[in-house]
Amino acid sequence: MFDEPARRRNMASLTPLIDVVFLLLIFFMLTTSFLKTQSLSVVTPAPNASELPTDARVVEIWLMGDGTLRVDGTPVERANLTEAVKAGIGGRKDMTVTILAESGSRTQAFVSAIEAARQAGARDVGTARVEKITP
Amino acid sequence: MTELDQDPPRRQFETLIPLINVVFLLLIFFLLAGTMTPADNVAVKLPIGALNDSERDMPATLLVEADGFVWLGDRPIDPKIVEQALKEYLADKGMERVAVKADAEAPAEALLLLMEALRKVGVQQVTIVTERGR
Repeated sequence: MFDEPARRRNMASLTPLIDVVFLLLIFFMLTTSFLKTQSLSVVTPAPNASELPTDARVVEIWLMGDGTLRVDGTPVERANLTEAVKAGIGGRKDMTVTILAESGSRTQAFVSAIEAARQAGARDVGTARVEKITP
Repeated sequence: MTELDQDPPRRQFETLIPLINVVFLLLIFFLLAGTMTPADNVAVKLPIGALNDSERDMPATLLVEADGFVWLGDRPIDPKIVEQALKEYLADKGMERVAVKADAEAPAEALLLLMEALRKVGVQQVTIVTERGR
């Protein structure tokens, strides 16, 4: 006779707890993000593209408007970009890589080009936008 | 008869315990595994990258939408005329640490226009946010 009311009280106190835990669960499920982001530091370009060096110590990556890439005028696949830039640098330590983005090229290509230049061991990476690249 | 009356509530109580356990586990999982970040004004599909300079908690984040528009805080501006607005926006956030979240499909021209404007305003280096490559 005395057992039953005690057990019922015990159960009643559990329900709000479960409610709150569910609410917390839903809150964290909706607010958390699992996206892993990284960061890439880039020096901002000079407003005038003519300030970029153009002598023999420069490897140019061209981002063409149709999405293709060229290293010093030779078409290159995106997967082989780092090797092509590395070949252009050729082991020298004082080489600059200039990335020229034609209008129509995309950010993804731009980011890939910067990373390829950094991975190939360029001392300096310059960027500029141009309306149309004339080989 | 009294025994039959007592039985059902007890069984219900007992079947609830594994459920609570699982919910608690899920809760702890989301607490530990997730990171809470404030949502951006526009959805940006980040470009895939391989390098990581491990810059974190940038005070100023600029968004470049897929159509080329630049978001400074809560207003979109064409990158060609972004300079004056940038000066005002960065005045209280500082020039040293500026992050750019550009959509992978955004025109590189828009990103470069933004970076040129940043240089004019006095920012020497920006951090482009990328997603870890697959």
